[in-house]
Amino acid sequence: MAVKIRLKRMGQKKAPFYRIVVADARSPRDGKFIEEIGTYDPNQEPSVFKVDEDAAKKWLNNGAQPTEVVGKIFKAAGIEK
Amino acid sequence: MNEKIVSQPGIRATDRMQQALLYDFYGELLTEHQKEIYEQFVLEDLSLSEIAADEGISRQGVHDLIKRCHKILNSYEEKLHLVEKFLSIKENVHRIDELLNEYSAVSDKNNEEEDTKNHLIQIRSILNEIIEEL
Repeated sequence: MAVKIRLKRMGQKKAPFYRIVVADARSPRDGKFIEEIGTYDPNQEPSVFKVDEDAAKKWLNNGAQPTEVVGKIFKAAGIEK
Repeated sequence: MNEKIVSQPGIRATDRMQQALLYDFYGELLTEHQKEIYEQFVLEDLSLSEIAADEGISRQGVHDLIKRCHKILNSYEEKLHLVEKFLSIKENVHRIDELLNEYSAVSDKNNEEEDTKNHLIQIRSILNEIIEEL
């Protein structure tokens, strides 16, 4: 099963707030996800990421693909396989 | 849980944030089809090829459509500046809020009158209303 790590927009209008979720790449539309591993809040300056490092590493090692944006976040957080 | 919190000036509120705000303000002016695809890209963080496979159109088609949406949304912002105004008002309101916090710390110390405290409460609630309604 191809699994991706992506952002999911939450929060009200005009106050974007994202969850970092692990989801099956092939059922993107229904909005279901397997696990939430963090959050990203761009409303603060500078923006704030919270990532569960162990979970992120576990998923990366299992072959989960982060999207471009999530990849940048992980890089900034120093999270690697 | 080994949770890592990162907050560094190196990573700024990114393009993604700007795009989400533009969409919140002007998204209703896009067509249904444009909205559907743009939402998947900006709000759900799907890749171009995922959207393409899902919609049964080419990756290039999705790319062009999203680029066109960016252009449309940006052109509204260039004319109306709603996002710019929103961010500036929000910042000013936060600044007022901070000043009020400092002021109320002082007035608590000096045991100032009920009237003053009530005023502060009222001012705060107006500020909250302004932020909510922006």
